[in-house]
Amino acid sequence: YVYSRPPPWSDSLPTIFVITPTYSRPVQKAELTRLANTFLHVQNLHWVVVEDSPRRTNLVSNLLEKAGLNFTHLNVETPKSLKLGLSWIPSHTPRGTLQRNLGLHWLRDSFSNTSPPEGVVYFADDDNTYSLELFEEMRYTRRVSVWPVAFVGGLRYESPKVSPAGKVVGWKTVFDPNRPFAIDMAGFAISIKLILEKPQASFKLEGVKGGYQETSLLKDLVTMDGLEPKAANCTRVLVWHTRTERPTLVNEGKRGFTDPRVEV
Amino acid sequence: NEELWVQSVLEMPKRRDILAIVLIVLPWTLLITVWHQSTIAPLLAVHKDDGGDSRRDLAAGLDSKEYCLSERDIVEVVRTEYVYTRPPPWSDTLPTIHVITPTYSRPVQKAELTRLANTLLHVPNLHWILVEDSQRRTPLITRLLRDTGLNYTHLNVETPRNYKLRGDMRDPRIPRGTMQRNLALRWLRETFNRNNSQPGIVYFADDDNTYSLELFEEMRSTRKVSVWPVAFVGGLRYEAPKVNAAGKVYGWKTVFDPHRPFAIDMAGFAVNLRLILQRSQAYFKLRGVKGGYQESSLLRELVTLNDLEPKAANCTKILVWHTRTEKPVLVNEGKKGFTDPNVEI
Repeated sequence: YVYSRPPPWSDSLPTIFVITPTYSRPVQKAELTRLANTFLHVQNLHWVVVEDSPRRTNLVSNLLEKAGLNFTHLNVETPKSLKLGLSWIPSHTPRGTLQRNLGLHWLRDSFSNTSPPEGVVYFADDDNTYSLELFEEMRYTRRVSVWPVAFVGGLRYESPKVSPAGKVVGWKTVFDPNRPFAIDMAGFAISIKLILEKPQASFKLEGVKGGYQETSLLKDLVTMDGLEPKAANCTRVLVWHTRTERPTLVNEGKRGFTDPRVEV
Repeated sequence: NEELWVQSVLEMPKRRDILAIVLIVLPWTLLITVWHQSTIAPLLAVHKDDGGDSRRDLAAGLDSKEYCLSERDIVEVVRTEYVYTRPPPWSDTLPTIHVITPTYSRPVQKAELTRLANTLLHVPNLHWILVEDSQRRTPLITRLLRDTGLNYTHLNVETPRNYKLRGDMRDPRIPRGTMQRNLALRWLRETFNRNNSQPGIVYFADDDNTYSLELFEEMRSTRKVSVWPVAFVGGLRYEAPKVNAAGKVYGWKTVFDPHRPFAIDMAGFAVNLRLILQRSQAYFKLRGVKGGYQESSLLRELVTLNDLEPKAANCTKILVWHTRTEKPVLVNEGKKGFTDPNVEI
């Protein structure tokens, strides 16, 4: 067995399209670096990185080139009005929405509905933690597969409720368990075929109540009893909704102490 | 009829011939099966509860098309074949990097170690020394280490909790991780002979930092002690050693106490194993260490400023980030707990 990074592409494995929205902030490069280090182990992975910016930045471009992963680099800037939630309706555009939708749009542009590739779409935020096993669990999704996610909803983990027959019948959450899909972004994957079959299905941009973003997409794709539970019938945790602290940069002062040309 | 009868008698193998053939063929069959599985098995992820062994047997070297299994079975066979968690093959020529990681139990522990392992799994000749701050080695860590496929050593030592209450008001606590790092140093000194020629590098990697793959290749050539910049320490975007035109370290680009003997973060240096073994009394000071001086407490016993080897393009590139992970909000667990405590996170 010859080790290579990433592992060689295989013609028989379904492709995992990972859509990651990202935005510039001090820890961005660190987050993308350790994320790439994880993805580099996964066979037939295609990373769709969508920057929230008016232009594709050098930082992300260089990182993607150097990593060696199969990737697509996109960008779309969230308009300031959406970012600040100036709409008078008391709701907000959750971060990353426009970017994820652009990722979906690229998929629909790149692949035809008549001969869809074998594969799945997974939305992976850049600060979460993913086990390698997770990707093998999602690879053979027929429609939409689901699994538990740690550190969401104020719990150790949230998880779908699975009946003895292996069907999803509800949601083990404290926060609003009656949502149509009480599941985190990191807790499901969708087959490419389904994404291409339903070209109108996207994340809703405005007027989305907190916790309903995932529902805004999934309701147009699948019903609860069509969900495929993974991770040993949703009894194992293979993904963690970790969040990274904002670093203290107080000693930079007003003028900056470190060399701004040194990329962090 | 007679011909047919004779033919059938000749064709019928004698019982002792069968026995002889079985006794010869059987050991070889067993040998080949065992050898085959042991080379394939490390490539496969361990599936914990659900009949993992039987699936591994199925998957080892099978062409799934040959079997008339149900669709579900074939799916699982193909799946198992492609999960590989094996590190790069060991090389005889590369110095070993001994990565010392202290760790302690808290909700994000498994997540941190998982993503750290995912990084370490790319580095050839890496030996991970994981030291738990606990009374006993925990099953969580034991399982995790085994499942990664990494070369590892699993140690533990508990930092006494009552140090907080003892008299000395200047330093009521031992900096976290100190006893664990020291235990790893002691293990190295007990395991490797001072005269042994196995080249090695020692690096202290906390479980919540972020490491680029390039960093490990930079430190591999360390002769005594090598240094490089670290992001997100000292209240700055990064701290870095000051390097002169001759490529020598002559100071520290920090705002916080730049006059420390070694104003550098734990993640910013690596030590040649030979030096660790030679200076066998050099340890991190346990008590009486001012904030920010822990690294100095070890390095001053190992090297002088002049001997430091600057890496990362003369300390102009960032290859390691001192990231910190937020404590997750678990308020909805309530008093009695909502989630199943048997489900490991």
